Amino acid sequence: MFRRDTPAEAEFRMDVRTWLEANLPVALRGRTARPPPVELMPWYHKLSRKGWVAPHWPRQHGGMGATLNEQIIMTEELARIGAPQLPAQGLNHIGPILMEFGTDAQKAQHLPPIIAGTVIWAQGYSEPGAGSDLASLSTRATLEGNHFVVRGQKIWTTWAHHSDWMFALVRTDPQAQPRQAGISFLLLDLHSPGIRIRPIKTIAGDDEFSEVFFDDVIVPAENLVGKLHDGWRIANALLGHERLATSNPQFALMALERIKTMARASGIMADPTFQERLAAASIDVTALSALFSHAVELNNQGQSLGPESSMIKIFGSELLQALNDLLIEAAGGHALTDRPIATDFGEVDVAAPFLQSRRVTIYGGSSEIQRNVLARRVLNLPN
Amino acid sequence: MDLHLTPEQTLLRDSAAKFVVAAGPKVARVFREQDPSFAPARLCQAGDLGWLGILVPCSANGLGLGLTELALVLEQAGRGLVCEPIGLAAISAAALAQGHAPHPMLERAMAGEALIVPALQENVHGDNPLAPRTQVAGENGTLRLTGRKMFVCADGADGFLVSASGRDGPTLCYVARNAPGCVLATTQTVEGRKLSTLSLKDAPADFVPARQSSRNAVDALHNLALMALSAELLGVMEKAQEITFDYLRIRKQFGKLIGSFQALQHQAVNIYIRTETTRSLVFQVAANNDPYRIDPALAVAVKAKASEDALFVTKACIQLHGAIGFTDEHDIGLYLKRAMLLSSLFGNAAAQRRRYVAIAGLTA
Repeated sequence: MFRRDTPAEAEFRMDVRTWLEANLPVALRGRTARPPPVELMPWYHKLSRKGWVAPHWPRQHGGMGATLNEQIIMTEELARIGAPQLPAQGLNHIGPILMEFGTDAQKAQHLPPIIAGTVIWAQGYSEPGAGSDLASLSTRATLEGNHFVVRGQKIWTTWAHHSDWMFALVRTDPQAQPRQAGISFLLLDLHSPGIRIRPIKTIAGDDEFSEVFFDDVIVPAENLVGKLHDGWRIANALLGHERLATSNPQFALMALERIKTMARASGIMADPTFQERLAAASIDVTALSALFSHAVELNNQGQSLGPESSMIKIFGSELLQALNDLLIEAAGGHALTDRPIATDFGEVDVAAPFLQSRRVTIYGGSSEIQRNVLARRVLNLPN
Repeated sequence: MDLHLTPEQTLLRDSAAKFVVAAGPKVARVFREQDPSFAPARLCQAGDLGWLGILVPCSANGLGLGLTELALVLEQAGRGLVCEPIGLAAISAAALAQGHAPHPMLERAMAGEALIVPALQENVHGDNPLAPRTQVAGENGTLRLTGRKMFVCADGADGFLVSASGRDGPTLCYVARNAPGCVLATTQTVEGRKLSTLSLKDAPADFVPARQSSRNAVDALHNLALMALSAELLGVMEKAQEITFDYLRIRKQFGKLIGSFQALQHQAVNIYIRTETTRSLVFQVAANNDPYRIDPALAVAVKAKASEDALFVTKACIQLHGAIGFTDEHDIGLYLKRAMLLSSLFGNAAAQRRRYVAIAGLTA
């Protein structure tokens, strides 16, 4: 919205748009929930064959090696056509982490299957007793000779029941002070004996996440990423990047379009009170776009985002919820149906995106935790 | 987040910051009682530094710079509660420089020797600026203006840029303060600056042409005004925030620094988010728009957000100070009052949102 394409970028945008129009199955467009693997992975494989599944990965690892502006164009065009969200734990989390911290053998084993879409990854961070206070995690990994024995439980693990591998934070030193100093970063084969996975149904009706139980699971010592007890630093190293990626304004722009469609269908669009509230929301979406462009610009200049990225996460996620509040309001009584609502302007999902948006201020560090981080680390307020 | 600036832009910002050291709350208090409520010599100083001609093309002896540079200077002016109307003077000079032959007042306006300010608003809520009820009649050379403008920053002004409806739609005109048929009714604001109602009855005026690249001279000046006021509001928020966060780091209650309390920390973060998002919006719009052709939806969005956020921030800053923040003696109240003034001029946040509805077509 604020950035203008160069002629080369404009050409790239048209290439992407044309290819997506021709190749993305209509059934996968505009879905509010992530489709199950049987529907989604063929699309992943198609993107992979085109060489477009990992725009942000360097070419040496099978990525596109795209510039940040090209990456933005890709996400904008994917959002424009309503492409479904791909499983992101491999592409956005463990992939980049292994590129920075992994051994050559780990890279050779794990990066190609992520690009090919033959292996799905899950992130094992949260535990029943360690949510916002993640450093208190207690899933225990004990080194015995050339392997670890893992015992404990992870929860809120996105797509674990569809996944083949998990990268996890595990406790390797229960006595360490601070507690962060006793945590290691481990790769676990989810098909190993001793692992039990139970999907959890969410309030939105989908089963995006699971709980995972480890009962003396044997994990080869070479599956340790980085040094023993150094897992906390590794997990946090790329957080700024991740928060930037998840605050892409395209989700908010899509939500805005959904509101307009619903408001025109329900008739509330003629109401001046509603119009002014919609204007306020649109202006905030413009501000989110500005914030995102600003952050990308700094990133392009090599200034990596630190704890300030928490601010973008708070603003983006709280705005997405505000937009969904407005959607519910626009839908009136229709908001109660759990099916997409047929209107003269097409089908609109109402309850599903509203319910799904409850999670965005919780996952990846709740808004309250983000505010604590900002207060201490950016505003330098006292402890 | 830091702005990515060129070395020249950084120099400009630093020199504006230096200029502002001589301003600040103490000086702003002095001017509350005076007429005019600023130092004309300081306006000339801003002129000498080139800031009043910052947008004026080099061919007309200006600096020929863009909205980013304007915003950098005005952000500092806001931080320092500068009383000289640098922003209004600079955008008026830009408007006077639009024609093939610059307006005769341009040189003196750029030097700060003559203060020319926009007079565009006709309605309490700042309705559509492109449909003024003020009428212009006659040919160039014998133009006559009749109508009424509200909330004009006429304090110390020598002339006005007035929007009027004429044969060819919305038209921008220059009228001298001492022109016959030009009457000012002035009131004191809470902030110290005076605002006037300008009544025009067959007042002689000059036509101010539009720049080739702009849609319309009235549209160009109005959008510039929204950007200029927003940049200044940003500076007001920033400084109020800094003063408040400093206070949270030294004030003790219950034996602890109050900045260690989570409820106050979270409110501090809310303030910070408002300031940062306004900064990104102001500077992204500045970087991507031609000064004479600002996207009207973006100009309105910027002014809506800056107006709302500046009031949110300065009100919250008073709350975080407690009772001392409610005293006239403490400076934090001056920032709220400046935010009240700037957010109201050319339409407050709600008025901007209503215009946004029309511009963005958020209607049935």
